[in-house]
Order: sequence, then structure tokens, then C-alpha cells
Amino acid sequence: MRLTSKWKLSFNIFLTFMLLSGCGFKDIDKRFFVVSIGVDLAKNSSKKYLVSLKFAVPKTTRESPAEYQIVSEEANSISEAVRIIKTKVDKEIDFSHTKVILLGEELVKRRGNAGVNYWFVRRRDVQSIAWIAVGKPSALAVLKVKPTSEYFPSNALFLALGKDGSETPYVISEFMYDFKFRAIERGIDPVLPIIKAKKDFLEINTVGLFNKSKMLLELQPEETKMLNFFLNREEKSSLWGKKGQTNMIVNTEKVKSKYKIYTPKGKRPYIQFDVSVDGVLEETTKRIANKQLSKYEKVIGKQFSKEALRVLRKIQKAGLDPVGFGLRYRSRHFNDNDWKEWQRIYPTIDFKVHTKVQISDTGLIE
Amino acid sequence: MPSNKVIAIRESLKSKLQPSEDLVFKEKFTKEKYLEVLYIKTISDEVVLHENVVKPFFETDSPEDFLNYLQSHAQIKAYENEQKAIDDVLRGEAVLFYQDHVFLFDCKVDRNNAVLDTTVETTIQGPQSGFSESLPVNLGLIRHRYPHTSLMVESTEVGRLSKTKVMILHDSKFADPVTVKRIKKFLGEVNIDMLETGEQLFDSLKKSNRALFPLMLVTERPDRVAVNLSNGKVIILVQGSPYAVILPTVMKDLMSSMEDIYQSYWIAKFLQLLRYTAFNVSMILPGLYVAISSYNPEVFRVQLALSIAGSRTGIPYPSFVEVLLMLFMMELLIEASIRLPKAIGPTATTVGGLILGQAAAEAGLASNIMTVIVSFVAISNFVIPINAFSFTIRVLKYFILLLSTLFGLVGVVLGFFMIIAYMVKLDSFGEAFLSALQSKPGKQ
Repeated sequence: MRLTSKWKLSFNIFLTFMLLSGCGFKDIDKRFFVVSIGVDLAKNSSKKYLVSLKFAVPKTTRESPAEYQIVSEEANSISEAVRIIKTKVDKEIDFSHTKVILLGEELVKRRGNAGVNYWFVRRRDVQSIAWIAVGKPSALAVLKVKPTSEYFPSNALFLALGKDGSETPYVISEFMYDFKFRAIERGIDPVLPIIKAKKDFLEINTVGLFNKSKMLLELQPEETKMLNFFLNREEKSSLWGKKGQTNMIVNTEKVKSKYKIYTPKGKRPYIQFDVSVDGVLEETTKRIANKQLSKYEKVIGKQFSKEALRVLRKIQKAGLDPVGFGLRYRSRHFNDNDWKEWQRIYPTIDFKVHTKVQISDTGLIE
Repeated sequence: MPSNKVIAIRESLKSKLQPSEDLVFKEKFTKEKYLEVLYIKTISDEVVLHENVVKPFFETDSPEDFLNYLQSHAQIKAYENEQKAIDDVLRGEAVLFYQDHVFLFDCKVDRNNAVLDTTVETTIQGPQSGFSESLPVNLGLIRHRYPHTSLMVESTEVGRLSKTKVMILHDSKFADPVTVKRIKKFLGEVNIDMLETGEQLFDSLKKSNRALFPLMLVTERPDRVAVNLSNGKVIILVQGSPYAVILPTVMKDLMSSMEDIYQSYWIAKFLQLLRYTAFNVSMILPGLYVAISSYNPEVFRVQLALSIAGSRTGIPYPSFVEVLLMLFMMELLIEASIRLPKAIGPTATTVGGLILGQAAAEAGLASNIMTVIVSFVAISNFVIPINAFSFTIRVLKYFILLLSTLFGLVGVVLGFFMIIAYMVKLDSFGEAFLSALQSKPGKQ
């Protein structure tokens, strides 16, 4: 009977294991995947927020079209809204594929909504690599747009914000972990892309600059492109230049920017930006020979520097720091009051931009 | 006339060997000579006996000459004791009673000595023939490929009832003497009634007589045996089996095919990589499917997650039941195709594999993705070159499946680690199962 007792013990251990599995097991078809979340301010209601979840409805055959379901709920907190939405859908809500979080334009312009962000960070099944963006006119409006090219819900957003799809300098996409870092760290401020809902498509070409609590400044598309170069995010773009009567456009293949903060004694501190641009000539109004290229390079470089300077000053004027000059300053200065010092320096700091343009080709065979 | 002693032996032998249909006792006379022969005609070669004994008997005149002939003949040896004589007669030798002498004449008939084609470990290039079912022929095949004086051949008997002749071969230059000693000791201690083939020793290797991993390599290829001899391995040949056992065996041997040395370097490396990938795929994939689709769907890309969710809609059972059902079906198919007559085999696999899978998906018992996974698992299982090892993996995947059903992704990792830990523990005659290098003599 010794053997039986041994088997009995193993069987009991096995039964205990069964208890351990508990609530984890949930088949994939019993889960309802949220692909994007939108948070807006509630209108005409006593509640604070309007939370909308966009669910992907799985296709049963390959031919059936991409379907989705948007469920919205007004509540004072996101958790509360999600609890109520749970009662409205038949399957378990699963945030593990939530890749886009949209905040309504009005929401981000108002102070004191920082708490909204923390729900996404704390919630374990929302991944930190979700993109976060501003929805214009509202997050819900963006969720409702259904581009015809989309073959599963919110795919257009995923492709536009990620590098998988279109690569353009007008989109500065932002991951949630980075947003959280920028929202907390002294010396670097959050930047979020603004997604505009159009009838059949989405337009993403501007960014909103934040201070620690709300959106303060909205950049124009060209300014967005400049900021993108400062952040060294996307290198494929086009630059425009004019020399005399000749307009030309350079398709850039490589844009690298470096900066250094100089604090000379007794003089005004300045930030030296060095930008190098490699590209090919894409379009001109007049024929340009290979020999003349160096002249045009200079013109474009000058124009670039001018534009860059304008954007940097605009951002500085708003008291924002999306590039992270403050963080760089703090990392190079080890005084106890470095942050205070930087706050004193930044509003009056000078910018110097030097651009080196290299056009490798006119795009024609001579 | 034979002496009393010879008569006593003769009578004793005749009484021990109970009268049977094929037992032959013949007396032959000439003027001067008198010869008696005792043998079993079904296992002795009567033509050889006639050529070597009977013909000279009648052609030789003087009794002394014939005695000299018998004593000098290579295949004739002197009688030692009764028990040995009986054993030899039962193996096909003939007993000769001549004057005051008793001789044993080796005239065993060697059936099943045809060299077979390789059917299990086939390669595209390289030698295509395997062993035969006859021990001397097999030994000859090996000697042919390994003509060295250092090749040691020893023989012993294993099996209480079968008394099967077993040969132990090793190259004394390369083989580790300690290992050889261990193997001989092991063969001496094997507790088995009927030994028909080397594979039967699998279970005897472990103390508990229950083995999961094959700790010996059974091969049908003489070229593999020759290569392994030169690597210091010990070979066991069993009478009547066209398979040789190679010892000690580590995992590297079980994952190697003879193709590895017949193909060029990068191709062999690629094939090896493929094999190890297939090993992992066929062991982990079913468990991984359950773990990912029921516990951690965030691991998939969103497209795949949605398409799996879509293909699973309407399936009544949880994912692990689905997997078990399909795996069970696959195992039945594999087993059936081994047993089926060769003419029906391909039909059954087509019917089973294609139609059953498709029908199961359409009937809503399994998702389309599941069908893909099951066939993937089945195919990658057959990439493992050594059959015995691929059977092990067939069993192991259920272990991982169980753990993944209980604990999800953690279970898959846990199961994999447990299997690795078990493999680390294993050893084959002192050689660690996971070791990558063959130990050389003198190194311990």
C-alpha cells in the first residue's frame, strides 16, 4: 500500500495545481480586444470624462470586412468607465492589444487631468509601448473614422504612428513610456502628435507641446518637421530653397542634428546646433549642373538654419523644452541648484544653428 | 569400435536431446573405419557436412589419416563437456564420434544473411545498404569498413531463454577502457528472458526499468557504426537483428544523421540547425499555442490575435481540448500508417491528414490555425533523424501541454526547464547526455 499513498500524494499535489490556474485561463475567442481608447471631456453631464473603447470584432472568414464596435461611457474616472463598459459587452475586455491611446483636444488643453495618464501606466495589460496622441476635434471622432484602406480596426492609426507604414517627418509619434518620462522628468517636456479626424481619413501633421500639466502650443506642419529633425526621429523628408529665380527641393536621405550648451563666463549662454543634411535634388524650376551644386547647398543650408532658429525661439518663448535642453544641462552640471539655474538661463539663452548640406546628385545623368 | 567412454557420451547426449523430428543420428562404415554423426538437420548445413566430413571419410583409406584430417580441420574442435556440446548442437553444430574421439563440427546454416536496404535512416547520398540479420555477416560488414588490428571483437550471451549471441566491438586505441568495462558489466547483468534485438536494452539501462530517453543509439547503418568506432564508441551486435547498438550515446548522436558528413559544411550546419529547431517546435508548439491563445494573447501581433480569435469563434471547447483532440487524431494517423499494408499507407495519410483536418475545422471542432499547428508538429517530429528519439519527443510534448494548460506561458518555460534539468541528469555509461564532446581514453 506504500505505492498507493505515494500516488495519492502526487494526485493531491496535482489537484492543488488545478486551483492555482484560477482565473488566468480565458480562451482567445472569449476575449474582446480593445485596439484603441479615447478619452474626452464629458459634455452636458455631471461626470468628468467620456471614455470610449474601440473593440475589434474578429473576422470569421478572410473575406468578411473589418468590423469594430465603439462603446462609450461617461464616468468620473477611467476605471469606473471600464467597469461599466464591461456590463455592456459579452466578452472579457482585453487591453493587451491596445496600441493607441487618444486624448481629446479639450481634455489636454485643460489643467489637472494628469490623473488620466496614470491609469494607462498602472493597468498591467495596457502595454507601455502603446502610442499616445491627441484627437482633434475629439478622441471619439478620431476613433469613428474608418479609412477605406483599413483591413482591421485602427490599423491605419497603427501604421501611421509606427514605422511599419508611412515614413514622414510630419508625424512625431510618442510611446506611453516616453510620454510618462517626459511628463515627470525635469528638463524635458512632452510632445504629442495631433490626429485630425477627416471624413474618410486621418490627418497627422502637427504636434502639440505640453508643459507638465497641459497642452500649451500647437506647432504648424513645417515647424513639426523642424522639431522632428531636432529630435533625430525621421530622416526622409524634403527641404525647400530659393536662389534668385530658381526654386528647388531636396529629398533628404540623412539628417543629423547635434547640439551643445555653452555657458561662457560673463557672456550670454548659447546653444550651438550643428545639423548635417545629405540628400539629392528632387525638383527644380531651372536646370542645375553638378558643378554649381555647392552654391545651392549653401542657400539651402542658410534657409534651414533660419527656419530652425525661428522654431527654436518660438518654443523657447512658450517656455517649453521638448528637445530636452534642460535635461542635457542637468546631466552636465552637478550643482545642487542646477535646475533653478537652468530655469533662470533658458528664457534668455541664445541659439546658433549651423547647417551643412550635402547634395550628392542632381538626379539627372549629365 | 568406439570405446566405452565415447558410448557413454553418445548415449547421454542422445537422451538429453529429446527425440525430435529433425534430430539426425547416422552411422557410417567402411572396411577400416566407423563414424557416427549427430546433428539437427534444420539448423545444420548438410551439404557442408557432406563435403567436409562424409566425403573425406569414404575417400581416405587409413583410419589414422582420417583422424589427422579431423584434428587439423579448422571448423572441427574437440569435445569439452556435455553441456557445451548440447548448446552447440542446438546452434547447429554436428557431433562426430570417431574411434576414441568426440569432435564438434561447425556446420551452422546461416539464413537471413542478405544485406538489407536502409529504410529508417535513409540518406540522399552515401551508402544505401544496411545490416543483415546474421551476426557473422554484420561483423564482416563492419570489418570491411574498419580494417584495423585494434578492432576488438568479444562475444557473450544475453537472455535467459534465448541465449542470444551478442558481440561487443570497440577500437582499443580510441575507446575508453572504463566505459568498455561498464558496458560489459551491464551486458552481464541484463535481466531479460528473450533478447531479440538491441532496442530491448533501452529499459534495462535504467535502474527503474522505465526509460523515456533512449540512452543508446540503435542504427541500421554499417557506415555509422564504422564512424562511431573511430570516435571511440562501443558497438553491440545482436544475433538476428539488423540493428547495431552504439554506446555510450549522447544527445548529439541522437540528433546527427550520416548526411552530416556526406554533405558540404554549410549545408550540414544548416541541416543541423533545422533539426534542433524542429526538435523545439515539435516539443513546445502545442503547449505554446494553448499558453498564448488562452493566457497571453498579447504575444501575438494584433493581426494574428484577431485572426486566431476569428477562427476560434464557434468552437465549443477550450483550446487545450482542441489541441488534445487534434494531436490524438494525428497520433492515431501516424500509428495507423505504420501498421497499414504498404499499398494502403499513402491513401490513409492523405485521407487522414488532408480531409480529416479540413473536416474538423469545418465541423467547428478545431480552428484552422490548429490544423496548421498540428501538421507542423507532426512534420517537424519526423525531422529528428533517430527514430527512437523522435518517439521521445512525441511523448514529451504532452508534458509541456499539460503544464501550459495549468500555468500558461510560465508553464511552457517551466516544462522546458524541467526537461533540460532531466536531460542534464541523464548519463549513458558515464557520458553526460548533453555533452558535446566525446570523452577520450585516459580522461575522466
